Amino acid sequence: MNECMARDIQEMLPDLLHTALPADQRERVEQHLAACESCREELAVLRTVRDAAVFAPAIDAARIARQIPPYRAILPAPAPARSRVAQWLVAATAAVLIIGGGSVVMNRGSATPDKVAVAAPPTDSGASQPDRVPAPGEATVASAGSQSAQVPTFALASDVASLSDGDLVQLMNDMDDFDALPAAEPDPVIAVDSGDSL
Amino acid sequence: MTQGPERPPADRADETDMELIARWKAGDGRAATQLVGRHSQALARFAASAGERDGIEELVQDTFVRAFGSLDSFRGESSLRTWLFTIERRLMLDRRRAERRSRETVPVAESEQVSEYGALDGLIAEEAQERVRKSLDALSPTQREVFTLRVQQGLSYKEIAEVVGSTEGAARVHYHNAIQTVKEFLKDE
Repeated sequence: MNECMARDIQEMLPDLLHTALPADQRERVEQHLAACESCREELAVLRTVRDAAVFAPAIDAARIARQIPPYRAILPAPAPARSRVAQWLVAATAAVLIIGGGSVVMNRGSATPDKVAVAAPPTDSGASQPDRVPAPGEATVASAGSQSAQVPTFALASDVASLSDGDLVQLMNDMDDFDALPAAEPDPVIAVDSGDSL
Repeated sequence: MTQGPERPPADRADETDMELIARWKAGDGRAATQLVGRHSQALARFAASAGERDGIEELVQDTFVRAFGSLDSFRGESSLRTWLFTIERRLMLDRRRAERRSRETVPVAESEQVSEYGALDGLIAEEAQERVRKSLDALSPTQREVFTLRVQQGLSYKEIAEVVGSTEGAARVHYHNAIQTVKEFLKDE
């Protein structure tokens, strides 16, 4: 018996076995089988393999179905709640900044009342040239220069960069003396709560 | 014509798997029973063909529990049965890895590894079936998986490639080599 070279037909034999071929292809394969002993033999082998009763236990579908939990749609996980320790730390930090900063202002106010939050009066330079519209860069430089000359102090809401070295030292000393910080370090478990931005 | 009280839809054999899945998601537990009944024997047979002897029902149950637990990830791009075969095969591989680890102190010989797949001893009774069993034992594990999925389960090469994590072309080659080996074996018997 000659070996058949019709590979495409041979590849369709399992589909013929499972009646999974469209009508036109089925007809084509059956026509080939009528004339090809090799493919008929291969189909007989496939049928033998398919029908070989491989032992498999009868499955109790109802019992398995009872083990299946009811459907629960996959919902996006809620954002992790901020821990109580983290909430406490936020509140404590805000309190330190407000009370500490306020006490610095009050201390400086009692020592040098003439330097606290004095708004710079308008200078005559602008009045002398009312029609001139300064360039943006020019106006900024002139304004900064006049403020540094006439408003040498800071307010609570002012930029920290405008503080002098002495002011900064005073602020740090006041913060060190402040007694509102917790006595112990917070529990390291706070490190797990990395999703929070404190 | 009067209409009676509203009844739940009757189970229909022609409902597609996707329709049954939709019913189960809507809270109809009978749809799950139908799906399990529709595919469980095929899963049991595939497990037996692949060499599983013990705990086949437990394996099938684990397959369904895992599948139903992640049905939201099933898009219907392949058939449900193909997807179930894929899950079951992974579970079988996990089992075998666990078994290998449990006897790690004793080196596993190559012949023993092959015998895991050739574990149909005593399961096929008649002479013709015995010959088939021996011919399947002559195949490599992958050839055997591809061949049984193609001949016993009727899967396409594309579906087989999905189950065994290979390509369609590789599945064709494995099938071709397997059928040649089986034919030669049965001819010589």
